[in-house]
Amino acid sequence: MPVPILKQGNTLIVSVQAALTDRDLIDLKNDLAEKVGQFRSRGVIIDVSLLDVMDSFATRTLRGIAQTTKLRGAETVIVGIQPDVAFAMVQLGLALEGVATALDLDEGMELLAARLEKGDDRVG
Amino acid sequence: MPEAPSLRPSTRQFTDRDIERRQRFVDLQPDDLQRLAAIKELVTQNVEPFTAAFFDYLSKLEEAAPLFGNRAVLDQAKQLKREHLIAMVGGNYGRAYVEQRLKLALLYSTVGLETRLFLGAFHHLLRTIGLEIVRQLRSDPERATQSFMSLEKIGFFDLGVIVDVLIDERERVIGLQQEAIRELSTPTLQIRDRLLILPIIGVLDSQRAKQLTDSLLHAIRSNRAKVVVMDITGVAAVDSKVANHLIQTVAAARLMGASVIVTGLSAEVAQSLVALGVDLSKLNTVGDLQGGLEEAELLLGYKVQRVSRTESV
Repeated sequence: MPVPILKQGNTLIVSVQAALTDRDLIDLKNDLAEKVGQFRSRGVIIDVSLLDVMDSFATRTLRGIAQTTKLRGAETVIVGIQPDVAFAMVQLGLALEGVATALDLDEGMELLAARLEKGDDRVG
Repeated sequence: MPEAPSLRPSTRQFTDRDIERRQRFVDLQPDDLQRLAAIKELVTQNVEPFTAAFFDYLSKLEEAAPLFGNRAVLDQAKQLKREHLIAMVGGNYGRAYVEQRLKLALLYSTVGLETRLFLGAFHHLLRTIGLEIVRQLRSDPERATQSFMSLEKIGFFDLGVIVDVLIDERERVIGLQQEAIRELSTPTLQIRDRLLILPIIGVLDSQRAKQLTDSLLHAIRSNRAKVVVMDITGVAAVDSKVANHLIQTVAAARLMGASVIVTGLSAEVAQSLVALGVDLSKLNTVGDLQGGLEEAELLLGYKVQRVSRTESV
């Protein structure tokens, strides 16, 4: 099932609706890498608030997305990680290091806006 | 007259195999059973004076006051003690016998009779019975000694059961208290919009660290917190394990978009962590709570300013 990617100004918003298969994740990664260039986006927000499981492959792919979009000129923020998911991820040693995170979509937009305004390219 | 407290069944379960093993521990042999049968009459006839000896001895000790404070309990204890004495020479030391011991032990622990008191009185009781055996078998000292030794085996068998129950009870109480401490001690407080403080007090074991992280993460979501100041001034000991718990909590909070400032590392704690080689570079640490709050306010863009009031200076 392909994941919709919404364009909002200079930001791309991905709302993950259901548990993704590994295939979906890879498609998402390729799509994003493509679209960031196509729309000249400066930021990507991936909302995972509907996910109640996050395995190592998903974590690794999200990190991969963040690094890829960075190379293409867009900052990625992962938003909406649930408390239980966050706890489980940390216990599994999947702390998404180097990837920006925020509480929800609102926060993520704000974070991106602040980063772009400052021209601050630091991540994390 | 106050009611005797109702007895909870013991948490400890004795299987037939357990009981058999316990009999082995005190080396209970068929010979012993025979000797016990031989002194059966002696004991059953003297149940009253023996029971009295046990309770009189206790009544002279002020620490045993709780047992004597409640008439109903005392009567029940005496009745159980009489049954105990008769059963001790009854020749049947199976599950029914052990159940009876459990009942009495639970009664003792309910009124708070201490183990050492009970041991003293129990020894006195055995001594009293021993003297009576020696007196009646004066003609045959060797048989008297052997009979007493057999009785002693039963006595120690009983002690094994009773001490276990008393210890179990104490452990149960400790468990309840730990539970209470755990529930009391993890408040997450919002002190400014988007700013939480989490004062941690007491011992941070794995279970508590888990609970703490869990409640913090939920608090971050419900308060929409952006910065959390975690103060560990009240944590008794910080070792590598505790440090790892802290690192995990911080990492989990970050996944939810909140940054954590850890405060309250004392000079000793800081030095011991460095000596242990714990890598705390992932933590944002500030010396004390005040410094932590200032740092948090800075992160959130607050500026605290003193309003000058000439009349109050």
